[in-house]
Amino acid sequence: MLFSYLLVSGITTGALYALIALGIVIVNKASGVINFAHGELLMVAGFVAWTLHVGLQLPYGVALLGTVAIGFAVGVLTDRIAFRPLANADLVSLVLATVGLSFILKGTARLIWGGKADYLSFPPLTQAEPILLGPLMIIPQQLVVTAGALAVMIAFAAFFRLTTAGKMMQATADNAKAAKLVGIRTDRVYMMAFAVGSLIAAAAAVLMAPLTLLYPDMGFLLFVKGFAAAVVGGLTSLPGAVLGGILVGVVESLAGGYIHSSAMEVAPFLVIMAVLIVRPTGLLDFAKVRRV
Amino acid sequence: MLAVQHLKVAYGPTEVLRDVSFDVPEGKIVALLGGNGSGKTTVLNALTGLVRPRAGSVRLKGEECAGKRPDEIIRAGIAQVPQGRDVWPSMTVAENLELGAVTRRDRAAIAEDLEAVYDLFPQLREKRKRRAGSLSGGEQQMVAIGRALMTRPRCLLMDEPSAGLAPAVVGDMVDAVLELNRRNLTILIVEQNVGVAAAVAEYAHVLQNGEIAVSGPADGLLDDPAVLRSYLGR
Repeated sequence: MLFSYLLVSGITTGALYALIALGIVIVNKASGVINFAHGELLMVAGFVAWTLHVGLQLPYGVALLGTVAIGFAVGVLTDRIAFRPLANADLVSLVLATVGLSFILKGTARLIWGGKADYLSFPPLTQAEPILLGPLMIIPQQLVVTAGALAVMIAFAAFFRLTTAGKMMQATADNAKAAKLVGIRTDRVYMMAFAVGSLIAAAAAVLMAPLTLLYPDMGFLLFVKGFAAAVVGGLTSLPGAVLGGILVGVVESLAGGYIHSSAMEVAPFLVIMAVLIVRPTGLLDFAKVRRV
Repeated sequence: MLAVQHLKVAYGPTEVLRDVSFDVPEGKIVALLGGNGSGKTTVLNALTGLVRPRAGSVRLKGEECAGKRPDEIIRAGIAQVPQGRDVWPSMTVAENLELGAVTRRDRAAIAEDLEAVYDLFPQLREKRKRRAGSLSGGEQQMVAIGRALMTRPRCLLMDEPSAGLAPAVVGDMVDAVLELNRRNLTILIVEQNVGVAAAVAEYAHVLQNGEIAVSGPADGLLDDPAVLRSYLGR
């Protein structure tokens, strides 16, 4: 019973880590940059969702759509303000710009949503009573979150496979020079990558909010988990990011249940080390040279 | 068709092209030759807007292209087949070709052009669902050419289409270039391989140290031992 409970809750958090990892991977694929502000984008989106849902009493679905739209806009804006002016600078400057952005977002969140010690809670979406499915004990909330994460992933895969915008992003990631030579505006593609990455962070935040408390410093830890998942998956592979997320979530949950709750924070790094020893390029990344 | 005048390109303080002027007459194949580092690829990149020229003009049928963005130049009618085949390896052949038409909205004509590319390179029709990265070097070169054709260019720039190809395939590439020209396409071809240049081009320009050193009809120029020795290291 304990195992199945830990497994299900591990998959749930893993699905959220997978979403965070997807956002990191999509930005990295397009631009070669690891966005160190990804966790802060998530945190801000969590607060925005709280304002819409708790503050303005909008229904959860509306708050979700609103937050996702605002997340997209924040991505566009950060590209314009922080990254576009650095388009011809080296990669290190861009990475530092993301670090700077993370501080700005954290400061802004403190200004708007209160001091450091404020932990805002998000109301649960469903009843708290667990459902028993044979040997599995499932909390309805987890089911909603996992289904939501899955829906976002499917929408995301469809975007890449079926839309011209998605294909333009794929082409730019594959070979930016060739993309320019057919007339793809690669500067717009990079903006799109930041915007979509930020949008996914927002979706993850809204799904996660009912399971956790919101505070301005929550971003970095979530970024680390997502980054771990992305590295495990190979940093440029979207399916790898999903697999890595689930793996990190499950290992973390099992470590917390069977060893000690303090082991939860260490577990993702043990996963990274183990994977990198066995497959230095990540689980699903084949023969690609890493840029950062 | 394409008139390049006093083109200058510099990377920082380093002048790569000092003063390049030449014409590509409508319906002709013109070769641009030169040793390593003579600036051949830079000329093409300046023509397609990948690098911004410091001075000079590039006119396509009178329309000024110098200083414009690549997408604007592509809409004007200049397309480049990059060196080293630069296909998008993780995408299928069909996706590579279809994205070539990303600047266009004329759906019916795009479908016609796709058929024309498949007629020109029947292997690509058979392998249209395969990932481009899994094709042979010659087939990837076909994808790169087909993708450039999908922009519906008036003037096609080809950067060493024979480089890295097996000798048996180079002949096919020469045939493809001649066939495109028969279909009324004006072509500027950059080559290291003098044999390929001589086989396709009517005129040739030889680039040295960022300037056009000699020009003339390809037949005389590329048979001249003095030219081959002084400029092309033969």
